[in-house]
Amino acid sequence: MKTFNPDAIGEKLLRRFAGRTSRRSIISRLGIALVAAPIFPVLPVSRAEAAKPDRTPEAKTAFARNAQTKDDTKCDYWRYCAIDGSLCTCCGGGVHTCPAGSEPSPVSWVGSCINPEDGKAYMIAYRDCCGKPACGQCGCDNTDRETQVYLPQLNNNVIWCFGTSSMEYHCSTAIMIGAA
Amino acid sequence: MTLLRSKLACMLLTGVVASSLAMPALAETIVAEAEEATVNTLEPPKTGWFFVKGGWGSAGSSIFDSATGKMIGMIATGRDSDMAIDPAGKVYYVAETIWTKGNRGTRQDLVAVYDAKTLKLLTEIPTPGRLIIGGLKTNFMLSDDGKTAYDYNFDPASSVNVIDLVKRKFVRAIELPGCANLIPNPGVGFSSLCADGTLATIAVKGASQEITRTEPFFDAAADPIFANFAYDRKKKQAVFLSYTGMVRTAAISAKPVVSEPFSIQQAAGLRAADTKPLDIAWFPGGSQVMALHRPTSTLYVLMHMGEYWTHKHGGDEIWALDLTSKKVTKRIPIKSPVHNIEVTQDDAALIMITDRKNNATILDAKTGEIKHAIENAGGGHITVVEPM
Repeated sequence: MKTFNPDAIGEKLLRRFAGRTSRRSIISRLGIALVAAPIFPVLPVSRAEAAKPDRTPEAKTAFARNAQTKDDTKCDYWRYCAIDGSLCTCCGGGVHTCPAGSEPSPVSWVGSCINPEDGKAYMIAYRDCCGKPACGQCGCDNTDRETQVYLPQLNNNVIWCFGTSSMEYHCSTAIMIGAA
Repeated sequence: MTLLRSKLACMLLTGVVASSLAMPALAETIVAEAEEATVNTLEPPKTGWFFVKGGWGSAGSSIFDSATGKMIGMIATGRDSDMAIDPAGKVYYVAETIWTKGNRGTRQDLVAVYDAKTLKLLTEIPTPGRLIIGGLKTNFMLSDDGKTAYDYNFDPASSVNVIDLVKRKFVRAIELPGCANLIPNPGVGFSSLCADGTLATIAVKGASQEITRTEPFFDAAADPIFANFAYDRKKKQAVFLSYTGMVRTAAISAKPVVSEPFSIQQAAGLRAADTKPLDIAWFPGGSQVMALHRPTSTLYVLMHMGEYWTHKHGGDEIWALDLTSKKVTKRIPIKSPVHNIEVTQDDAALIMITDRKNNATILDAKTGEIKHAIENAGGGHITVVEPM
């Protein structure tokens, strides 16, 4: 099964963020993170990239086998394979929209989720909406390919409200980045 | 007013009659003297105490006596803070983040120092930042001599803040790219797990440091090691457990040595678990997924049946793994899934488990017998006094 490369994803997201922000201190910290990127692992999974993806039920996780595409207010909506927190779709927002008064985090953790309609894997950025109290609705904690904090771009416990005016966590969105 | 008085007198009389009927003997002697409001103090932290953090968003850690199951106090541990116990037992340290206007304003990162006897705030040590996460026991760590604290920061580049606990002053930050989760390394500095599958050792030398790494020994993306690992300060040994149930020990020194892994499932006489979908097996899972009883080198692990990538599922059983013989010596079934486990470090070891509904259960580690059930104990992680 094709496994995505966390280093490339992390760097892509960080570069994208760095290109459009003006917050000097955060840029400086991200710069350090980017410098660190080459030290990050050349994991065995990277070498498996060339392998043809296997999308048979036997190759899919329990989440992917049971995921649906119709209702984005449910934890089993396909994009939510590695989400942790309240769904913004239940809090007055949308799948890529923060509820009124909250602010999207410019950085995020990511997941690689399979759309059951076409059987393809897509990279999803779980961007927190910040600056309001915890929404509390539709709490989900899905863990496909979710790792620990030493690999932070794949960890869903970190509060990702960096570079926002407040670090208070409100809810999480699931933004399409592209094919994984 | 007269009517009211007579009614009150009647009610009081009825109450006295009713209580005298219900209780043939007086339960206590009433001394009709005005009492003063007093405040309790605590003994120094004890081996038999569990410090239980409230659930996500909670601002306190309740202290329970494992012998009685009773709450004896609370330490103010703000939301997503990290607590550490002074090895000398004189103070508690809480690394936390607060804002000047509650949910907004200027961010302040600090280590609050509380007197262990009065639980009163002694001082605050400002720091440049810290990772806000909650549920991790390896973010904030004290050196064995209690003189230095290491506080992990992520903003989103990773570093470690060094804090002098004698002078109660922030010293400096050490950049630590690609690593997190701190292990004490006496006389050297600290060690840390890294995304490249290595263990980094940071030798702190005054104003500089030297960072060395072991050879890669695990795959951080395919079979990660749980960040809530255990560490034995006496043996200078870390115990690591991976999502599939591979157990490793690491002898911590200037050049740590990591053991060959073995499967906890095979140690229980079952086949090893793997990462394939639809492969149902026993897997470790939860938040504080394991507890080490250091005097007997027994690792207690929360286990559940399922597929891979279920590492946050609560445990349905506790497996007692003897790290010396590499055998699972006991399996204790649990009625409903629990997410955190800790064990007292005395000979008569008692286990505490908590679930996401804030319920706690205290069990005898040897027999599995339930000693106490505590409602609203807290759903966060649990801390005990470590043998030094």
